[in-house]
Amino acid sequence: MWAQILNAIIGIWLMAAPPLLHYSISGSNSCRIVGPILATFAIVASWEITRGVGKIAILLGLWLLAAPWILAYAEILPILNDTVSGILVISFALVKGEIKNNYGGGWKSLWTKLPVAGN
Amino acid sequence: MSIKLEEHTPPGWDYNPSGWDDRIPILILASIGTCIASYLALYQLNFLNTIWEPFFGNGSKEVLHSAVSKVLPIPDGALGAIAYLADVVTGAIGSTKRWRTMPWIVVMFGIAVGPLGLVSILLVILQPVAFHSWCTLCLASAIISVFMIGPAMDELLASLQYLKRVKHSGHSVWKAFWGNSDIEQKID
Repeated sequence: MWAQILNAIIGIWLMAAPPLLHYSISGSNSCRIVGPILATFAIVASWEITRGVGKIAILLGLWLLAAPWILAYAEILPILNDTVSGILVISFALVKGEIKNNYGGGWKSLWTKLPVAGN
Repeated sequence: MSIKLEEHTPPGWDYNPSGWDDRIPILILASIGTCIASYLALYQLNFLNTIWEPFFGNGSKEVLHSAVSKVLPIPDGALGAIAYLADVVTGAIGSTKRWRTMPWIVVMFGIAVGPLGLVSILLVILQPVAFHSWCTLCLASAIISVFMIGPAMDELLASLQYLKRVKHSGHSVWKAFWGNSDIEQKID
């Protein structure tokens, strides 16, 4: 759960960062699209039942690593910010975290042949 | 040592996702969302001349009177208010065993909460990218919708698992979806 909360904080930081770090227009737009999507999925993934959607952050992190080169950032601060954020986002997305409750086999029970009734 | 489970807990679960302790926080959030979105809609429909905006100057004005807010026949604030109200209604209807007595209302609740959250992110993205402005109350409304998704999905899962057990037992999923006490008594 803490990993998801940290990813949500990074998402909100990305929304605020463009004017503070002097991003270019295309870089700003990238941050302002990735930020809210990351924050949303990370917040939803803070609950055990929807933990799986936090994996979307891996794709967003890969985009952050690639964006400075694809969008040709000229300034050093935005390049550093995207790269460090990308590495952190992917790392936190890979933390599964503790699942304390039982949910009758979870979402995957809907695709198994037999209904799973408990553990 | 066995811990006594909450009444009407689904098989294989540790708690009842249709319990009031799970639903009341969502109902409170959805009610606050209804109030915020109604206030924004009143401004968009020109019933109010000013809008509360503590942080972003003219941001709220620009966002709430933008071209995107007028794409639909009714302003997006009004649409938000209707969607939040749907969350409140579908969240409140039914007893604490509704995950199996009324799967249809649980599914409607899940549909109302999920897509509303997704539309909210879309509007948050559009604000700075398209209009170069932020709107404090729009952001607050988006945060509320996102915080409702996680806690609402457990009930949906319990209903879908119940329908899955109904299907496996050979009974009519259609009848169970609309609530059927004969089937309920035969299935866990």
